[in-house]
Amino acid sequence: MSEAPKAMTAEEAYHNENDKVLRFLEPRFHEEKFPSIQILGYIGSLILTFGAYFLVMNHVLPPVALLSVILILAVFQAALQLGVFMHIREGRGLAWQLIPLYFVFFVALGMVAMSIWIMLFKSGVS
Amino acid sequence: MPSFVTYLIHTLFPPTVRFPDILLIDAGLVLGGLGLIGFLTKTHRWGWLWREWLTTVDHKKIAVMYLISAIVMLFRGGIDAEMLRAQLAMPSVHFMPAIQYDEVFTTHGTIMIFFMAMPFIFALFNAVVPLMIGARDVAFPRVNAMSFWLFAFGAILFNISFIIGGSPDAGWTAYPPYTGLAFNPGPGENYYFLSLLIAGMGTTMTGINFLVTTIRMRAPGMTLMKMPMFVWTTMVTSALILFAFPPLTVALAMSLFDRLFGSSFFTLTRGGMPMMYVNLFWLFGHPEVYILVLPLFGVFSEVVATYSKKALFGYPMMVVSVLAIMFLSYGTWVHHFFTMGAGPAVNAFFGLSTMLIAIPTGVKIFNWIFTMWGGRIQMTTAMLYQMAFIPTFVIGGASGVMLAVVPADYQLHNTYFLIAHFHNVIIGGTLFGLLSGMYYWWPKMFGMKLNERQGKVAFWLFFIGFWITFTPQYLLGLKGMTRRLYTYPAGLGWHELNVISTVGAWIMGAGFVALVYNVVWSLLYGERDVTGDPWDGRTLEWSLPSPVPEYNFARIPVVHERDAWWAMKQKGQTMAHALRPEDVHDIEMPKNTPIPFLLGVSFFVLGFGMTFKWWPIAIVGILGVIACLLFSGFDYDDHHHLEADVVRQTEASLGRLQG
Ligand code: HEM
Ligand SMILES: [Cu+2]
Repeated sequence: MSEAPKAMTAEEAYHNENDKVLRFLEPRFHEEKFPSIQILGYIGSLILTFGAYFLVMNHVLPPVALLSVILILAVFQAALQLGVFMHIREGRGLAWQLIPLYFVFFVALGMVAMSIWIMLFKSGVS
Repeated sequence: MPSFVTYLIHTLFPPTVRFPDILLIDAGLVLGGLGLIGFLTKTHRWGWLWREWLTTVDHKKIAVMYLISAIVMLFRGGIDAEMLRAQLAMPSVHFMPAIQYDEVFTTHGTIMIFFMAMPFIFALFNAVVPLMIGARDVAFPRVNAMSFWLFAFGAILFNISFIIGGSPDAGWTAYPPYTGLAFNPGPGENYYFLSLLIAGMGTTMTGINFLVTTIRMRAPGMTLMKMPMFVWTTMVTSALILFAFPPLTVALAMSLFDRLFGSSFFTLTRGGMPMMYVNLFWLFGHPEVYILVLPLFGVFSEVVATYSKKALFGYPMMVVSVLAIMFLSYGTWVHHFFTMGAGPAVNAFFGLSTMLIAIPTGVKIFNWIFTMWGGRIQMTTAMLYQMAFIPTFVIGGASGVMLAVVPADYQLHNTYFLIAHFHNVIIGGTLFGLLSGMYYWWPKMFGMKLNERQGKVAFWLFFIGFWITFTPQYLLGLKGMTRRLYTYPAGLGWHELNVISTVGAWIMGAGFVALVYNVVWSLLYGERDVTGDPWDGRTLEWSLPSPVPEYNFARIPVVHERDAWWAMKQKGQTMAHALRPEDVHDIEMPKNTPIPFLLGVSFFVLGFGMTFKWWPIAIVGILGVIACLLFSGFDYDDHHHLEADVVRQTEASLGRLQG
């Protein structure tokens, strides 16, 4: 058997000139002493949740205004979850964060928009 | 306190769980349980059970547990099916009263989809995905164990419903308003919603876990276009899970709120909107059917390449079509409720989008056929399932396209034609794929082959039984027999076809018996797999010994080509030749933990308490959940080092170390 090329270790491969593309796969950890951002984020998300609950249960606003307000709260909630808990700010390259994120928005908006379209029938056909 | 006792008996054992057959099963379960406890105690296996299985985070052992659960659930769902067919064999049979018939078709569907197919798929994910990508475990081993135990306790909660309190009876889709308290006061539907919520959490976590695993944990050199096809379908399925389960969770939780807390999201009164449930359910439901079939497309792609001794034909096209299916499957859900009458524009749009999905599926079928074309095909059991899958799935897909024609669907919706369609795709695609994968990877999981001759007997029983069961059902549907019908009068022309269908169901039952016999026999006397590569495979899992050592790879492989192991074999560059003692280093491994199991128990207590609205019990469950999460959040002692020497010894004992 001809001499087999010596196989690389994972570490070597990550740092090999030819395999630079692999660098993004190398595990990387981010440590902090105290998770103050996360704790604040947690409290914030609870406030947003209970705020919406309070608005709905106590009928403080007329229906259309109520819907708009809780929708806005939902957008804040989503932004907060992404920013604080979903590591959106920790990436190296942009690609791996943003492509799936756009995809999420695309699918979510599509689902909502199409559901509204589908359910409109209650006002039309009998 | 006699009044308290009568209350308990009335709630826990209402008339619907006091049928003679159920009492018989009760006795059997108690005896079986006692026998098991006795056996474990006598052989001193409790510690072993706890250390090796209940607390494990090893993906290979989790795979085995998923597999066992799935086969047990296949048994339970199969018994349900035989009962349904027995009732329908003849006109005016009243072997089961209507209420029990409803319960049985509900549990049959729910169990087969959520507690048989899903865990079976996860068994395959866990068994091979980390091995295929050259990783030592999944990205989050502890979360993986949590997923399993959430699934397991969800399944237990669902399964006790027929002996305690009464089973759900609103179908696997659980449409309101029938699931509302006004029509369905017992605990049955609570069981359904809670167990699916608990198991669904586990499934979502599995989706996240395997998405991260396949994206981040691949061996160096394995770029996206070098991943084995099964890894691709795992990744795409995980993405589907991630998007599909939230709508389901929302729909289930809102229904539960309607039942437990007096809200009216889906009730008929107070502005509730039952149709919104249907919309949400199928927003999940259609992607779900692709969650059920895409992984098996992956299995078939591996199986067909291995047994044809050829690389998969048209790999890039396969990838593109899997991605296309993923996109398209989000845009077709209305085809499950065309008859709701959302209007011609909506129905036409979704009818067309549904038909579009047949295109990428067709592309894949052709690629599998071209892979076989000119190959040296080995007719193993796994390959037989693959070859049976192709025509079966094509016919199922074609009947799906017929259902997607809106005017036709107005006739066919909820008839036996629909039943025949989805069994055609789910048995022909999902079940055949699962069994194919099981036969293919069994040596890797257990270190011995399943006996081929017995396997082929089981295969033919399943295959022939399938066609005898479901072909008549297409005709029955055309003759107007609707689904979920507990009996029917004579003189409608349905009699003969129903007899044939029931005979087919018996043949499939015999197939299941043959399968279990095959498994048990092979565990006892099966041919050992000493090479680790019994099928002359192409992907990295075959580079390892069978069964695979705890740490999987003594050294992480570096990948240069698509069918990595095949390429290494061609170049004479197999692991065994290259692994020298100094190549082996300490390995960091995740540590066993009881938390996932205890979390499952806590969720079970919570679910049980909520099912009967016994709030103190539910609160105990919640406290358990919180305690488990807090503890594991602050538990930093979650891994240990496997000494290089231990690894060297293991590898040497397997004859895989130089010098
Ligand atoms: C070419 C591909 C397919 C097409 C065009 C198609 C089309 C359809 C349509 C139009 C319906 C609704 C019929 C009705 O309710 O009247 C349906 C139902 C169903 N399909 Fe398919 N389908 C396809 C593939 C699949 C696959 C791959 C699976 C699963 C592995 C599947 C599983 C189901 C199930 C479970 C139902 C019935 C759900 C219920 O009502 O309980 N289908 N299909
Ligand atoms: Cu569908």
